[in-house]
Amino acid sequence: MDKILRINMGNEGGPQASEEPMGDYAGLGGRGMTSAIIAKEVPPLCHPLGKDNKLVIAPGMLSGSHAAQSGRASVGCKSPLTGGIKEANVGGQGAQVLARLGYAAVVLEGKPKDDNLYKVVINKDGVEIIPDNSLKMLGNYDLIDKIKAEYGDKVACISIGPAGEMKMAAASVAFTDMEQRPTRHAGRGGVGAVMGAKGVKVIVLDDTGMETRSPKDPEKLKAANKAFTQGLKKHPITGEGLPSFGTNILTNVINEAGALPTHNFQSGRFDGAGNISGENQSEIMKTRGGMVTHGCHKGCVIRCSGIYNDKDGNYLTKRTEYETVWAHGTNCGIDDMDTVAMLDRLDDDYGLDTIEMGVTIGVAMEAGLAKFGDGEAAINLLKEVGKGTPLGRVLGSGAAVTGQVFGVERVPVVKGQALPAYDPRSVQGIGVTYATSTMGADHTAGYAVTANILNVGGSVDPLKPEGQVELSRNLQIATAAIDATGMCLFIAFAILDQEDTFNALLDIISAFIGQDFTADDVTALGKKILEYERDFNTRAGFTKKHDRLPDFFKTEPLSPHNVTFEVKDEELDQVFNW
Amino acid sequence: MSSPPNKNRTATLCLTVKEDAISTFLPLLAQGFTVKTRVGCGVQEMLCGQFGLDADYVEQRLQTIFLDGKAVDNVKASVVRHGSTLALSAAMPGMVGATLRRCGVYASMRHEITHKNTPTKETVKEGTVMLKLFNLVAGDIGPRFLKQGIWIKGKNLQVFFRKAPDHFWAGCRAAEIDGRHLEVDKLSNLDWGQQQVFLKLRVKLTR
Repeated sequence: MDKILRINMGNEGGPQASEEPMGDYAGLGGRGMTSAIIAKEVPPLCHPLGKDNKLVIAPGMLSGSHAAQSGRASVGCKSPLTGGIKEANVGGQGAQVLARLGYAAVVLEGKPKDDNLYKVVINKDGVEIIPDNSLKMLGNYDLIDKIKAEYGDKVACISIGPAGEMKMAAASVAFTDMEQRPTRHAGRGGVGAVMGAKGVKVIVLDDTGMETRSPKDPEKLKAANKAFTQGLKKHPITGEGLPSFGTNILTNVINEAGALPTHNFQSGRFDGAGNISGENQSEIMKTRGGMVTHGCHKGCVIRCSGIYNDKDGNYLTKRTEYETVWAHGTNCGIDDMDTVAMLDRLDDDYGLDTIEMGVTIGVAMEAGLAKFGDGEAAINLLKEVGKGTPLGRVLGSGAAVTGQVFGVERVPVVKGQALPAYDPRSVQGIGVTYATSTMGADHTAGYAVTANILNVGGSVDPLKPEGQVELSRNLQIATAAIDATGMCLFIAFAILDQEDTFNALLDIISAFIGQDFTADDVTALGKKILEYERDFNTRAGFTKKHDRLPDFFKTEPLSPHNVTFEVKDEELDQVFNW
Repeated sequence: MSSPPNKNRTATLCLTVKEDAISTFLPLLAQGFTVKTRVGCGVQEMLCGQFGLDADYVEQRLQTIFLDGKAVDNVKASVVRHGSTLALSAAMPGMVGATLRRCGVYASMRHEITHKNTPTKETVKEGTVMLKLFNLVAGDIGPRFLKQGIWIKGKNLQVFFRKAPDHFWAGCRAAEIDGRHLEVDKLSNLDWGQQQVFLKLRVKLTR
């Protein structure tokens, strides 16, 4: 992984590929790579769909090796949804294969001069950029079937669906999983629209004949990897909970906490939550012959994904994640697991961010376009997006635009991006992250690695408001660093609880790069990445007034606890003071 | 749809099931069931002293606990009252999991929904508590409650039978309502109305 592949889609004689050494980007991976390139090379005031924006696809520092859990990729650009810097993180096979092909990043640049749609094929012999208009407006599933028929069942694909071709701000970039299905998505922020603006429908990756990446110290990596894997397997979350129930293990618990977004964030508890919980979902999956535990990429030992079959026992979609279950389910008043699964399938096929679309449909329901709880109507609204009807184009532009078009006041977005995961009135520290993250509202931006282990700050009383700000800061730093490695963020709990597992992670990185990598290095890396991102956003015109939650979180008490968001603006402004 | 005998009174439903059918009941346990127990004591006293859970199990497995919808940190000082809802879960993933975790580093991030250990002079007495068992915990300790017997809302039971998968029916060997035999395949046709049903499982071990 010692070179960068640049594909200039706007080259005078037609799209052209060139390779270059890492240069200033040496040592970076994942989010570190994407944010560095975007911050340095993309004019912050450019149009996100224009020739000056770039789409950067980067495997993690450890991807393509034998390191467990290292198959995550980052997709970065200036976001058409937020207008700021974006890194969308994704599993699937793409990172592993791209890394073994030797590329630390693929950078799509420029803008095509014709209206052809292109496929990019990368293998050990080089890069081909081929116009193929037979792929136009294919859903991701049909597209991948076509690619498989042409290139075989060992390739990994990175693609957009019709939403990306139509340059919708909620469009995702799909990565195929181990079964070559387009079920993993770099979802957030409209990265799919930028790929569509570059005229690229699919990148086909074939690493046949390429070697697994070798660390500088193979024996050290082997030992550290073994300790790390054992640590993940013995921890109840990574070794039992996630494999048994997937991320949907959260639904019942978040509901009990009164933090489950319900009916467009009107309340925090949903009566039908149990019907779409991970517990119920697993029972349905077992009954129908699906796969309850399944990894999204080779090398995953946590295996939180799965395969969900329909009533007849035929494949429908992957095990729906918590993010889909709350966004399309509880937030829209829908408590039928098959309906939620169908919405997930459509998101994957059209190439849409499941969070943005769930929140958008919730806003649409509040606007009266459908009743809360009407699953069929929700499916029809999503189909409008796939077809690109005028209504579909509004919805496909995300929750903020939909709210504006239909005159809805309660629109849960920050920096134009829909809120994920949990209501910030119940879990206020997470609200701090939603408000201040460089990415817009993002729950994975501030993840769980203990401040004690990282020894970042930690001198402030956590019960004081400034303590919550400090926690959010520490978490955002740690997450940025983990995102650079290619590691799946679900390692977080195991490394939080088990210091030997955290040390094994540091040893894996050290073994790979051939020099010591300490907790201080994790902090420094995370801070560097956030500094790139903050700098870009500032130059793009963002100020502290953008680091705020919508007003309704401060004025509307959330049932069942009757709480509002209480963290003051002055406190939010302290997050990035270091 | 037919009614169970004495529709307007509580009913006792005993099911004889094969061991591998027990997992089908676990989502029912997550919806909540009532137990009669001594109330007015702390969470730990209830779990260990009355439900017989091992102290190590409580400490290490029950990483997320809610009492009346609030996240519990102090299992000794959080008092369970008559009519309380106690929800038990293993550790949860992600940012929110770390935040909701009992005595976690990030507990302050959910200060507004933390159970405050209100001092009480309530005496310990007989009462009822609603229990909810989630995820791994349901599998760990759910069977013991099912074998001892639990009170379930009739409408929850009705939906359970209506949606029960094939392997439940294959594993359900016998049914009795208030001591009287009932054909198993009639269970899904019963309208329990607003009854509370005392459900008890007898497990038939498979050789």
